[in-house]
Amino acid sequence: MSKLQIITKGIIKNNPTFVLVLGMCPTLGVTSSAINGMGMGVATMAVLIMSNIVISLIKNLIPDKVRIPAFIVVIASFVTIIEMLMQAYVPSLYASLGVFIPLIVVNCIILGRAEAFASKNGVVDSALDGIGIGLGFTLSLTAIGMVREALGSGSIFGLSFADSGMPLLFILAPGGFLVLGYLMVLFNKVAKR
Amino acid sequence: MKSSLKNMVVVLFAITAIAALLVALVNDMTKDAIAASQLAAKNAAKFSVVGTTPEEATIARDTTRTIGDFDITVSIVVRAEDNSLIGYAVEAPSITKNGYADRITLMVGFVKEGNDVIVSSVEVLSQKETPGLGANMMNEGNSLERSVVGKVAAELIFAVTKEGGSFDALTGSTISSRAYANAVETAYAGYLWATGALDTSEEAIEEAMEDAPTGASMTNDWEPEAQEGDMSNE
Amino acid sequence: MNILSILVADNISGEVLEGFATGSVSVQAITLFAIVIGAIFVNNVVLSQFLGICPFLGVSSKVETSLGMGMAVTFVMALASVVTWLIQTYILVPFGIAYMQTITFILVIAALVQMVEIVLKKVSPALYQALGIFLPLITTNCAVLGVAIIAIQKNFDLLTGVIYAVAMAIGFALALVLLAGIRERLETEDTPEAMRGVPIALITAGLLAMAFMGFANVVPLP
Repeated sequence: MSKLQIITKGIIKNNPTFVLVLGMCPTLGVTSSAINGMGMGVATMAVLIMSNIVISLIKNLIPDKVRIPAFIVVIASFVTIIEMLMQAYVPSLYASLGVFIPLIVVNCIILGRAEAFASKNGVVDSALDGIGIGLGFTLSLTAIGMVREALGSGSIFGLSFADSGMPLLFILAPGGFLVLGYLMVLFNKVAKR
Repeated sequence: MKSSLKNMVVVLFAITAIAALLVALVNDMTKDAIAASQLAAKNAAKFSVVGTTPEEATIARDTTRTIGDFDITVSIVVRAEDNSLIGYAVEAPSITKNGYADRITLMVGFVKEGNDVIVSSVEVLSQKETPGLGANMMNEGNSLERSVVGKVAAELIFAVTKEGGSFDALTGSTISSRAYANAVETAYAGYLWATGALDTSEEAIEEAMEDAPTGASMTNDWEPEAQEGDMSNE
Repeated sequence: MNILSILVADNISGEVLEGFATGSVSVQAITLFAIVIGAIFVNNVVLSQFLGICPFLGVSSKVETSLGMGMAVTFVMALASVVTWLIQTYILVPFGIAYMQTITFILVIAALVQMVEIVLKKVSPALYQALGIFLPLITTNCAVLGVAIIAIQKNFDLLTGVIYAVAMAIGFALALVLLAGIRERLETEDTPEAMRGVPIALITAGLLAMAFMGFANVVPLP
């Protein structure tokens, strides 16, 4: 498998949201607007790349049976450290991405990729997988966010095109499920052909 | 790697220890920087909520009132050149109403215009509300901000509109909006207290306790003229 | 005069204010009943808080398995809320290491699940048979961690925290069983190919969430 293929695979064939159906909680939780979806995607990508690298480095040191708890600890400390560093040295970035960071701990994509890819592959490939899956996640979240924002608050990326009368439902919980469900149908129709 | 009880315990313990050590280290390293950047943001807000900048103004005095676990800090902002009063910046949490996730802390500016005390601006210092819903209180020109900024503080009713108040709730976020209204109310109480205008006699409190269940506060027999700069109640 | 006085009154105790903060003095008095109903229906962990979606979609194809999963989650959540509360109150806060909360909690939950599995296997093989296969899945169920953290954030005491956690878990089980029931029926229907599996489950969940929104004003929210 070429290096480029590892990346493109994460975007379409192994799209974390529409194909692997991983990380659903943050996907539904933050996609009430396009910019939020994008922010969550980027923050997740950063953590995913780094956790993939670290896990692929230490994979041979970990006994099989305690694999999952070990991965979880690595990921959770990573997330905590990134949150602290960001808050201390890039407060402006933290102001916009900060709310998403703690949510990443409970994002099963990170654990899923650690288990399915990083624990079986080399460092470079694992990093590339992180980039690919991260991109796929960011694109999907942005798409869901755009649809929900457009239908629910009548704007795209904050640019308003309708002031009122949009069904709020799409911003609320049910809209999250519905939009994700229908986008998945669309994805199945188009991308899987 | 094959698992044995020994290597399982050793490896897991080692990883946890290293992780904990790293986190503790980074925490130690970043603690001061985080505190400093939060303080800087807070200080900047003290000036911006009364419409000025650190170059043009200084803080004449910070007074903090602690009630239970909560702090209300009132800062008197004056012009740097002649020490004349610009306004009051009050940092206050939502006390009686939680937001959806946690308390909300606001910096609220109060300035005098004629005989009225006007809410000059509101900045959200901390909130953990839902992104896209309650967190919209961070956005410029959101409905909550619009319902208080430029309004006469004494005429505000600290509840959301559907409960008879003056706060136009964020769409779909009544709980966050209630907390916001409550934090503004707390800030106003802090302002009144700092300027000596608040009746804290036992009768007044008793009466307030009776009123409390209605949630919203009302009548106000406070006369704004006499209070300016009066710090006798420290 | 008005409520403002209370906020800065000299002779008001921290306790009264705490009472205010949790609503026990005001109209929004939160009774245990309200907490339970709120957690199960109004703030349903899956349908309104978006926690635990992965098992919600993954284990909801049969009513029987979803019941098992629901029971296992309830069991672990109740245990986890006790242990995390004790850790938070007696270790993290006194030692000033509250920033380690996430790491500690997640590790404790993983260890707890492992322990429950071992103990169940020894003590009650029958129960283990019923719940066993779901236990490893729970480690990665973000609802368990989420609820433990929310219970701490809300400043519940130990008993209330446990009741809250159990109610949340019942809400999870309810949503899971409801979805499984619908999916069992859908199985025999002629759904369009692109919709089969997860998409139709998501759309069904959306309709369920809409139905649950009807509970929104039933009780004052905790």
